[in-house]
Order: sequence, then C-alpha cells, then structure tokens
Amino acid sequence: MAANPHDHLVLSDVSVTFNGFHAVEGLNFSVGQGELRCIIGPNGAGKTTALDMICGRIKPTSGQITFEGKVLNNLEEHEIARAGIGRKFQVPSVFSELTVRDNLEVSYSKSSGVLRNALIFGRGADREGLEKLAEFVGLEDYLDTPAGHLSHGHTQWLEISLLLAQDPELILMDEPTAGMTVHETGQTVELFNRLKGKHTLIVVEHDMGFVKEIGEVISVMHQGKMLAEGMVSEIEQNPEVRSVYLGSSGIARA
Amino acid sequence: MSKRTALQIATYGIVCLAILLVPSFMDDAFILNKYARYLVLGILAMALSLSWGYAGILNLGQAASFGLGSYCMAMALKLRTVPVHTGKSGLPDFMVWNNVETLPWFWEPFYSLTFAIFAGVAVPVAFAMLLGSFIFRGRVTGVYVAIITLAALVVVNLLIIDQQRYSGGFNGITDLAQLELFGLTFDAYSSSSYYLIAISLTVSLFFALAVTKSKAGLILQAIRDHEERVRYFGYDVARFKTFAFAVSAGIAGFAGMLYTIVMEFASPTFLDVPLSLSVVIWCAVGGRQSLLGAALGAIIVTGMQGALSESEIFLESWTLIMGFAFVMIVLFLPKGLAGAVESLVDRILPKDRTAPGKSKAAADQCGAKNSAGGP
Repeated sequence: MAANPHDHLVLSDVSVTFNGFHAVEGLNFSVGQGELRCIIGPNGAGKTTALDMICGRIKPTSGQITFEGKVLNNLEEHEIARAGIGRKFQVPSVFSELTVRDNLEVSYSKSSGVLRNALIFGRGADREGLEKLAEFVGLEDYLDTPAGHLSHGHTQWLEISLLLAQDPELILMDEPTAGMTVHETGQTVELFNRLKGKHTLIVVEHDMGFVKEIGEVISVMHQGKMLAEGMVSEIEQNPEVRSVYLGSSGIARA
Repeated sequence: MSKRTALQIATYGIVCLAILLVPSFMDDAFILNKYARYLVLGILAMALSLSWGYAGILNLGQAASFGLGSYCMAMALKLRTVPVHTGKSGLPDFMVWNNVETLPWFWEPFYSLTFAIFAGVAVPVAFAMLLGSFIFRGRVTGVYVAIITLAALVVVNLLIIDQQRYSGGFNGITDLAQLELFGLTFDAYSSSSYYLIAISLTVSLFFALAVTKSKAGLILQAIRDHEERVRYFGYDVARFKTFAFAVSAGIAGFAGMLYTIVMEFASPTFLDVPLSLSVVIWCAVGGRQSLLGAALGAIIVTGMQGALSESEIFLESWTLIMGFAFVMIVLFLPKGLAGAVESLVDRILPKDRTAPGKSKAAADQCGAKNSAGGP
C-alpha cells in the first residue's frame, strides 16, 4: 500500500495468529487525519482484534502498524497511548470503585510520569474542565458517585468522556452504542460528527443504522481480511458484502 | 480540599496528638517502652496498607524491609559500643567469637550514623525497586506477587542467619549503644524514645497520606481497580506499582530502625515469616484501605496480645482468643475497623462532599462506599 502523507494510521499487511488460528491475515488499512471511519463485519471478522493490535493489547505476528510515521509494533500499551491513541472497550471499562470525578481525573493524563504525579495535589486542577465534560455527557449529577453504581448507558457515556478527557488524536471505539437507547445512539452520532476533523476516529459497530447515519467511508472486514471499502450506498450494493452478511438482503437489516 | 479530606486530616491529627500526649499521663518507663514498640509496629502496618490497600499489592515480605532497616541501625549502634570482648580495632564481639580478623568492608560505612540512617531507608527501597521492577515489568499479579515476596523474605532471612560471622546469625546483633542524635540520648526505656517514635509515626502517617492524596495515589487506586485500563491512558503501570512498593518498603525500613532503638537489639525474628504474616492480619483488622486504620489495627492487636499473654487467666488461651477475634472481623467487617467507622461517618455526614448545590440524585446514589479511603 502506498504511503499517503495524509494517512494518520496505516496498517500494512498485518497478520496475527493465535495457536495457528489466523484471526487477522494480511490486513491493509489506512485512515486519514481527522477522518471518521466505521469498521463493520460479521462476528469473528477480526474487527476487535484489529483495534487490539493498534492499541498494543495484542502484538501482530507480522506486518507493520504506523501512526504519524511512528512504528507501533514494539511499543507497550502505555507508550502507544502516549503517542496519542485512545481506546474505548466493547465492555465498558471504567474504574468502578472510583467516583466519576476520580475516573475523569485519572483519564486526564497529559503528564504521565510517577514522580510528577506524586507532586500533584488538590485533585481537579482542571476542575471546571472536568465538570464541563461531565455536563457534556450528562453525568454532572453523578460526579461523586462510584462508577460501579452507574447504569449501563451512563457507564458507556462515562467511558466516552474519559476518552474526551484523555484527548488523544486517534480514538478507537469498540461498539460505542451497545446497550444505548435510540435517543442515546442519536446523541452519539452527533458527538462523533463533532469530534471528527479534530480527532481521527475509528468506530467498530454492528448497528447499521448508526453507521448509515454517520455516513462516512465504511470498511468491511471478513475472516481477518479487508473485504471492501466505500460509502454506505456502495457497500450495500457490493455483492461480496451481501453474501458475507448471510443472504442478499442481510446487510440492510444487520 | 473536600470536606472529607479535611475530616480525615483532622482525625489523623487528633489521633497523633493523643499518642504524643501519653507520656504526660504515664511515666512508667517499662510501659512506655511497650507502647513505643506497638507504635513502631503501627508504622509497619501502615506501610503495608499503602501497598496493599491502595495499590493492591499484597506484599507478604514486608518484614524484609523492616528487618533490613533494623539491621542497618543495629550495625551503627554496635560500632558505637565500648567493646568489651573485642580484639584489635574495636571489632564487634560476635565477630571476635567467630574468628573474624578485620571489620568487613560493608560494616565500615556504618561508623557514620548519618550513613546508617540513610541506608536504613535506602537499602529496603533499593531492594524493593529491584524486586518490584522484576515482578511488575513481568506483569505478575495477584497471589503470585504474594508468593514471590514471601519467598524473597525467606531468602533474606536465611542469608542473614547463615552469615553468622558478619550478622550475628540466630543471635542477631545485641548489646548495642544508645542512639545519640542532635545531642539527645534515646534510652529505650525513657520518654525521649517514646517521643521519637510518636513523632516518627506522625510524620510517616502524614507522608503516606500525602502520597495517597496526590494524583499518583489516585492512579494507584485506579490500578488496583482495573490495572489494564490504566495502561491505555498512557501510564506506565509497572512504574507506578514499583513506586508504591518502594515507598512502602522505605517506610517499613524506617520503622525497622526505630524497632532496633526500642528493642535494643536486631534479630532474624524481625524479618521472619510469622511477623510478616502478622502485619497482614493487623492491616486486615484495622482496615487495609485506611492508613490510620492499619496503624491502629497493629497497635490494638499487638496491645491486646501483650495484655492477654501477660495475664494469668489467659496465659494458655490468648492465641485462641486473638484468632477468634480475627475471624470475626474478617467475616463481619471486611473493610476492617476503619471501614466500619467510615460507613458510620457516611451515615451521619451529608454526602455532598465537594459539589454543593448539585442535585440530590448523586447523593442518593452515592451510598456508603467511598474508595478513597476514609479516616
């Protein structure tokens, strides 16, 4: 794949094998600066695995992942995060014993060294910013609630707000709308449209309605490979994609 | 500063003040020495609460740091005795008995008390950093951390017992001089030693409190809660854990030095497995997620142990009674005595800790749980 100077993140010929099983095989994929890209695909297509490799949770067996020209393959998770990549997990991952405020405080990680943090006192140095952020995602009433006491939808929003506090250049979202109501899903679409341009977003999603509303370029994965890439209308017409999605009308209802 | 933090600092201050005032009511040197001993063990338990309660690192080898600190102080004080049995150049008596001709090189620097005090903290810290970086870089977690630290403790203990020529072996280092510092002499059986230890307890409690109240302390709690997630925010988890492990070891080493001063000797029993496991029990009883709780846990348990084992009625049954009390606390107060006090405070205190004027919903949901660790 030719390296485009506008490419923010490039996966070239990336493969990963678990005990002989090829979860992802020869994946080529690139996302431009400020782009909002959706990845869809049936279960087991390797979507989450692809995100895991980008954020360092899984090391690719072969191939290369570059972000802003920097090779990520051999970096540890925290180094990748410092390079400017944030991740939202499929199962909302927050610090359940800490309050919402403390969660946000931890995620605000501009300085990440041990000793420096040992000298930061009076939590909420950027208190207003954090409260504004909580208000933005509708958690302003829950600032002092332990995150473990939040409802599922609120937990999703909390994790999204953690990413906003972290403020990475590239945001990886794994099924952000899972368990959200239609209304909340709408809010998420709105939020993502606001974020794109400033941030690069990669969203793995099952919900076709959501993907359609975002209306950007879609990448379709199947059996660890990139199957197709294009706008919603193109993807819907693509016969290969249709056959993958169990039957010809599959994708429309998926 | 939140209302809760203010309350916490006030509680810590009051308890420390009460401890400092004890000698004004009590001038029995023997009892003061006994209390001072309990306070030192309180510092030790508090150090464990920092790593176990806040960072989730169950260090079963806490006594290793304690013992190393204790030996550093004992070596310095030994070199300050007027040698009774020594041969040439004031060799410590046990070395003479073991036919050691000259003072080993690593004893030399301990002529300097400043060096000894520095080493009493620095040696445990260095040891913890080395061990900790292996454990945490290797992403060892949970029960395996407990096993490795316990094994490390046994190794250090055996090494000291084995090197009798240089360490006094099973007998430890006895017959020490009294500590003289800033023109004061700290006799183990006097209020000066008691004050030294009470002030040390106060200082180390507030130091540890400051660590937990810093952002690093918050990140440590996040690591305890969900270690993997913390990495994706760009924090080097291994470094943070090593930091907590090392700070805890440094405080434990400091406590070890004080223990040598009150006990007037250093012995391999200061770094043996029973003591190390006792620290865990004290922490559990007092409340491992509260520094003050852990310290008081140690003071209460060792105090009760002392009282029961000295009374004629319980001479044979005191271990049973202590065991029963421990089981009851673990069963009914999983967060220890401090946890019980905390939930009581939560019930009395309105829950709008920092955000006045915010809606009731947050307060209602807040419940009795506060993971930041209360008084």
